[in-house]
Amino acid sequence: MNQHSNDPEDNGQAELAIESPAGALGWGGEIGGVLLLVLSIIFMVGGWQLGLGVPTRLGTGAFPFATGAVLAVLALAIVIAERKGDGLAETPDWIGLLAISASLAVFAIVVDRLGLVPGVFATVVVASLPDRNLSLRGKALLGIIVALGCWGVFIELLNLPIKPFLEF
Amino acid sequence: MDILANFSQGLLVVLQPENLMYCFIGVFLGTFIGVLPGIGSMAAIAMILPITFYLDPTPALVMIAGVFYGAEYGGSTASILLNVPGTPAASITAIEGHQLAKKGRAGVALFSTATASFGGGIIGMVVIALLSPFLAKLALSFAPADYFAVILLGLIAASAVSNGGALKGIAMVITGLMLGTIGIDLTTGVTRFTMGVPELRDGIHIVIVAMGLFGVGEVIASIRATRSGTATQTVDYSDFYPSKKEWKSLFAPILRGGAIGSFIGALPGTGQTIAAALAYAVEKRVSPQRKDFGTGVVPGVAVPEAANNSATQTAFIPTLTLGVPGSPPMAIVIGALMIYGITPGPRLLTEQPDMFWGLVASFLVGNIMLLILNVPLIGIWVRLLNIPYKYMYPTIIVLICMGVYSLNNNVFDIWLTLVIGVVGYVMRLFRFEPAPLLLGFVLGPLMEEHLRRTMLLSRGDPMVFVTRPISATLLAITALIIVFALYSTARTHRRALAARLGSSRKEQPNEL
Repeated sequence: MNQHSNDPEDNGQAELAIESPAGALGWGGEIGGVLLLVLSIIFMVGGWQLGLGVPTRLGTGAFPFATGAVLAVLALAIVIAERKGDGLAETPDWIGLLAISASLAVFAIVVDRLGLVPGVFATVVVASLPDRNLSLRGKALLGIIVALGCWGVFIELLNLPIKPFLEF
Repeated sequence: MDILANFSQGLLVVLQPENLMYCFIGVFLGTFIGVLPGIGSMAAIAMILPITFYLDPTPALVMIAGVFYGAEYGGSTASILLNVPGTPAASITAIEGHQLAKKGRAGVALFSTATASFGGGIIGMVVIALLSPFLAKLALSFAPADYFAVILLGLIAASAVSNGGALKGIAMVITGLMLGTIGIDLTTGVTRFTMGVPELRDGIHIVIVAMGLFGVGEVIASIRATRSGTATQTVDYSDFYPSKKEWKSLFAPILRGGAIGSFIGALPGTGQTIAAALAYAVEKRVSPQRKDFGTGVVPGVAVPEAANNSATQTAFIPTLTLGVPGSPPMAIVIGALMIYGITPGPRLLTEQPDMFWGLVASFLVGNIMLLILNVPLIGIWVRLLNIPYKYMYPTIIVLICMGVYSLNNNVFDIWLTLVIGVVGYVMRLFRFEPAPLLLGFVLGPLMEEHLRRTMLLSRGDPMVFVTRPISATLLAITALIIVFALYSTARTHRRALAARLGSSRKEQPNEL
């Protein structure tokens, strides 16, 4: 009985998976499995080099080695189980990923060299770059408002030891 | 009597103006962030965390808790009005809630949500007050081996039921445990896996991991929606209060949902999503209106919401009495307490009674505040949903940067957040959930310490784990969960595969 009532749902999900291009290719999980396998080997080797100790006094490397070993087994199982995997969870948004990554990078670079206000301004502008609904002027205006807001809240109100502008 | 005395003492703590203010800021900011589509309670807590470091532990904990249940609450507002669940648990509320909204009865749905959340929250609070002292007393007899077992149980229970399947969930927990070893080993003083980077000597800060995995990851995942434009819904205030019949149909579901939610929430590792889903499934069978479920009925909104909110509260039980998080956001709470030098565990109740009972009492105060914020002032949140997300997300990114940067005034932390954020986003794409990773990351050092102590006490004999009754029972439950989860993962995997093959075969003739 139960199986029958579940079937339509299962079909629906499977059809959705086929509609997405990545789902048709069926890649996804096994790449994650391989990456985890690499990570587990790094921790096993690293744990070994740090020293496993003896059972009574576990060494610095014992826990990383043990967790690495368990992960290696799981990663292998994932690679095998995911050969016919269900593809990606969603179509990747590379532009969004790029813009957000770039905005964080810009924050890191600018805040250290020019100060908080220019840093926040640049971060907002870069983060909103992929948004076509917002004009360039709108982006700049949003940047100015958020930058001044941060100055007020974080420096004046919370007294964080950050300079609003650096002399250069 | 004892409990009542403790509770009123807690009430005195929380009614101090300072605590009252942070409780309000907590639920307000929590609702604010939770209402934003796609940004869940994990990201909300991560963003608030750096601010709490400037406070005393008690107001900080009250505020973090407020953000947590406020965000869970705000998530359902977004899910009813936009059908974009602000939090995973809210997706259950969205089933009936959005149907009601489509019928033009969004107001009733929102009102039922508010009432049910309040009811569920109060039930959860009563359960905490009754159960915690008892559990803490029990936990005092725990040996390191038992702690190791209970941590393992929590980690497995939380990860085995994750969306991507048991295998991936457990793999993420282990990855978290490994990342937790980065930095100086507290027992031996040896540096591990820092690759010579001095900033990594103290390990990766939990704020950086949480902000990267949830803040950055969720913003990236949610901005696509803004480019396609968001739907807006208006709330008709003339139809805000439910009819007399609907009022009456609210009470039993709230009690049932609250009871199920309290129970599920108190189990280590299980979260609000499971609580809401289970309560909805039960209600679908026992409700007098069960035939109309799926078309937008008031009990269908109330049940998951009551379960969600009571589970949100009772998740604090294992978190504070055992030091094992009741749900992934609780891992952040544990991380925050550790930063204050407070180790959550059975002694917390006796050593920090003001903090514990203050927190419990704050649930009452916070839930009343939520009721006020969401019934008379619901218009604010509806208007907030109408603010285009294009103004919101660059601001959120700046807040994430500021939060991380304020930890050490070091841009290295920003770069690390960037790396973790990108990894977290790619993980999501491959259906690896980030929440178990964070759990493992927080509990890793604790687990290693208990493992070392156990082995030292037993003179290197690992059999102690199965000869002590408490740890043996806990490990047996853990093993059962693993077997069951692997079995059901394999089954759904096979069935999905078979269904896909079947449907593609069926599709072929159509294409020809």
